[in-house]
Amino acid sequence: MRDKILYLLGAAAVLIVARNIYVISGLPGEEAQGAIFKIIFFHVPLAITALTCGTVACAASILYLVKKEMKYDAVAVSVTEVGLAFLAGNLITGSIWARIIWGVWWAWDVRLTSALVCWILYASYLMIRHAVEEPTQRAKLAAVVSIFAFIDVPIVILSIRLFRTQHPGPVFFSSSGSFPHDWSMIMMWNLFAMMMLGAVMTMIRLRQEEVQREIDSLRRLAHAF
Amino acid sequence: MHAFLPLLLAQAVSPDDLVREAQRLQRNYEFLSYGLIVAWLVLVVYVLMMVARERRLKREIASLKVMLEERPKK
Repeated sequence: MRDKILYLLGAAAVLIVARNIYVISGLPGEEAQGAIFKIIFFHVPLAITALTCGTVACAASILYLVKKEMKYDAVAVSVTEVGLAFLAGNLITGSIWARIIWGVWWAWDVRLTSALVCWILYASYLMIRHAVEEPTQRAKLAAVVSIFAFIDVPIVILSIRLFRTQHPGPVFFSSSGSFPHDWSMIMMWNLFAMMMLGAVMTMIRLRQEEVQREIDSLRRLAHAF
Repeated sequence: MHAFLPLLLAQAVSPDDLVREAQRLQRNYEFLSYGLIVAWLVLVVYVLMMVARERRLKREIASLKVMLEERPKK
């Protein structure tokens, strides 16, 4: 039953995004940038979902360190993995946009660099988990790394406000933004769909983590005989 | 090209400029589609990885359960 609900939610999210792609394809291009501007409708929701995943991972890691319950460690690893996939999508779409607008695939700008560092930090988190065998030690070390990696999340968010960057300034959730209302609505729907997709993926990954833990305990039982 | 004709007459834009503009628009759409494809491809690859992991876990747990059930019989 739980599986069916998850798959239904995932399908609903994909349908919302498919509908949005159809609506976005009918929108006019932006005056200065042309059609490539429309990539923002995916680039921004991917980033917000990824950074939300980072925040949830940090909260779960703190909870693990405080309560020492493995379920929080499972939440942290699940949400980090999903967030990493979303952040990869965000970096790639940004790079494709930059190739057209800036003429280069990549610029060592504060926003871009901090986002890349964020991706590397969370990738290291997953690599560290593979390197440590003992579950409690692994969970403790991973929680510390996750909290450390989270330091970069506010830097990514605030970089375009605090530093002079090549990256465009904020057009949403900002008084200086000039996004038309109907475009904002499409963006919000896309964000909702991505968040839903992220939540569904996290729930599926979390269930896999629980099965993995069951396998580990069965293995220990098998070795005990 | 004739779609741009009124613009050409009104602003005295050269045909070369129009060709360049058309190429720019074409490139814009091309890269937009690359962006969308890649963004979805990343997520699809991740979902496929999860499906593969799910299958591996199911196989592993089934074989472990069988192993544990058979042990006391020996």
